[in-house]
Amino acid sequence: MDYLLHIIIMVGIYSIVAMSLNLLAGYTGLISVAHAAFYGIGAYTTALLALKFGLPFWVNIPAGILVSGVVAFLIAWPSLRTYDDYFVITTFAFQIIIFSIMNNWVSFTGGPLGLPGIPQPTIFGMTVSTHLLFLSFVAAFGVLTYLFLGRLVDSPFGRVLKAIREDEIFAMSLGKDVMKYKITVFVIGAATASIGGSLYAYYISFIDPTSFTVMESIFMLSIVIIGGAGNLKGSIVGAALLIFIPEILRFVGMPNSIAANMRQIFYGGLLVFFMMFRPQGLLGEFAFGKHDHKDSKEASENA
Amino acid sequence: MFNQLLINSMIAGSIYTLIALGFSLIYSTTKFFHFAHAAVYTSCPYFAYFYSIYCGLPLGASIALAILSSTVLGMCTELAIYKPLRQKGSSSLVLLLSSLGLYIILQNVISMSFGDDTKTFRSGIVTEGLEFMGGRITPIQIGIILVSALLLVFCWAITKYTKMGTAMRAVASDPELATVSGIDTDRTILFAFMLGSFLAGIAATLISFDIDMTPTMGMNALMMGVVAVIIGGVGSIPGAALGGFLLAFAQNFGVWKISSQWQDAIAFIILLVFLLFRPYGFFGKKIRKVEV
Repeated sequence: MDYLLHIIIMVGIYSIVAMSLNLLAGYTGLISVAHAAFYGIGAYTTALLALKFGLPFWVNIPAGILVSGVVAFLIAWPSLRTYDDYFVITTFAFQIIIFSIMNNWVSFTGGPLGLPGIPQPTIFGMTVSTHLLFLSFVAAFGVLTYLFLGRLVDSPFGRVLKAIREDEIFAMSLGKDVMKYKITVFVIGAATASIGGSLYAYYISFIDPTSFTVMESIFMLSIVIIGGAGNLKGSIVGAALLIFIPEILRFVGMPNSIAANMRQIFYGGLLVFFMMFRPQGLLGEFAFGKHDHKDSKEASENA
Repeated sequence: MFNQLLINSMIAGSIYTLIALGFSLIYSTTKFFHFAHAAVYTSCPYFAYFYSIYCGLPLGASIALAILSSTVLGMCTELAIYKPLRQKGSSSLVLLLSSLGLYIILQNVISMSFGDDTKTFRSGIVTEGLEFMGGRITPIQIGIILVSALLLVFCWAITKYTKMGTAMRAVASDPELATVSGIDTDRTILFAFMLGSFLAGIAATLISFDIDMTPTMGMNALMMGVVAVIIGGVGSIPGAALGGFLLAFAQNFGVWKISSQWQDAIAFIILLVFLLFRPYGFFGKKIRKVEV
C-alpha cells in the first residue's frame, strides 16, 4: 500500500514540475532543459533552511520559490535573447553550471554526498510523517499549482503567451512587449518548479545533485511533450504515464539494474514515437511547429 | 607546468575539433541539433571493445570495423528517424526532441549491454610517456594530435574540392536553391551524417585509448563540440578548429587557478559569453530586423 502511495506522491511532485514546464514549453514555446536546476534550487533552499536554521515549511517553500525566481530572472535575459535550438543550448549551459555548483561547492551544498536528514514538515503541531499524510500535503500543493497556472493560462496574459508561441513577430506587431512576457513566464515557471523540488526534499528527506541533472530535465520535458504541450491536464497524465508504466517492469521480475535502463529506453522511445506520429502529445494543442511565414505559405501551397 | 598544460590543451583541442567538425557538418546541412551524435560517438569504442574482447578479433581490425559500425549507426539515425520527419515537414524543434529521445535510447542500450562502469583497452602495463618540452606525452596522445590534424585537412579538402562537398555547402547555404539546381538534398544530408559519424567514431576511439570509456562519455564530449562550434561559427572548418582549441586552452589553463572539477562550468560560461555578445539564431536575425 505504501508502495502505491509512494508512486502517487511522485506522480504528484512531477505533475507540479511538469505543469510549470508546460507553461514555458507548451504555452510559450520555450523549450528549456534547465528545469531540473530550478527544481533543484527549490530542493536545496528548502533543505538548507530546514537543516541549518530549523525553519518551518511555510517559510522554506516560499523561500525556495523566491530564490528560484531570482535565479531565473538573472538567467532569463541572456537565455531569451536566443531562439529555438540556441535557447535549448543556452538553458543546457545554465543547467550544467547550476549542477556544477551543487556538485562542487561542498561546504555549502554538501557536494556529491548531498544533504541527509531533512526534517519532515509540521502543520499545526502535526508532523507529516505517513505516506497518506504526505500525499495530502503534495495534493494540496498540486491543486494550488493547477488552479494558479490554469487561471494564468486562461487569462489575457496566457493568450499573449500562446500568440508568442504561434507567431512571435505577430505578437510584437500587436504592440506586446514579447521579451517582458517571456521573462515573466520564465520566472513564474522556474518559481513553480521549485515547489516540486521543496516537496521532493521533504519527502525523500535526502537530496544530492544526481537528482537534478540534465537527464532529469529531459525527463521532465518528455512528460510535458508526451502528455501534451499546451494542456495542463496533459502534464498530469504524462507524469502518471511515465512514472506508473515503468514500475510494471519491477513486477515482471526485471533486475533493478536493467529496470533503470529500460525505464529510460521506454521514455526515450515514447519521445521519438510521439515526435514521429503525434508531436502535440496525448492531450496537447502545440506541435512544436516552426511558425515561419514562408513555411506556412508553402504548406498551404502543397495542400 | 606550462608545457604540460600546453600539451594537454593540444590533446583536448584535437578531440574537441573532431567532434565539433562532425557536429558542424551535420548541423549546417540539416539545421537541427543532432543530440544522438553523442550516442554515435560513444558507440564506436564500445563496438571496438565488443569486436576485440567478445569476438576476439585483432585490435586493428576491431577498430576499423567499429568505425564502420558507428558510421552506419549514424546513417541509420538519419534514414530511420530524421528523414521521415523531414519529409513530414517537421520543425527543427521536433527533430531536436526526437534526437534527444534517440540519444536516451542508444545510451541506455550501451549501458545495458556493457554496464555503467569504466571499460578500458589498456592492459596492465602503464606507459610512462615520452619527455617532450618538459612535459610528458604518451604515444597515443601524439597519435590523437596527428590523426586529428590529418582528418581536419581531409575534411577541408572534401568540402572544398569534391562534388559531394560542394553539394553539402550548397545545401547548407540554401536547401531550396540547392534542390532547384538538381542537387539530391537527401543524399547530401546522408553524406554529411556519414562523414560526421565517421569523425565522431574516430575521436571517441582515440580518446578511449587515452582515458577509457563510459556509456555517458558522449554527451559531455558533444557539448564541448557544440561550444566549440558556436565559438568558431557554424559550418566553418577553420572555425571548428579555432573554437576547439580556444575552448581546450581556456579549460586547461583555467585549471591553473580554478580546481579542475569546474572545467564543465568554465566551458559553458565561455559559451554564454559568446551567446551574449554574438547571439545567433535564424529567428534572431529576423526579429532584430523587425525591431529596427
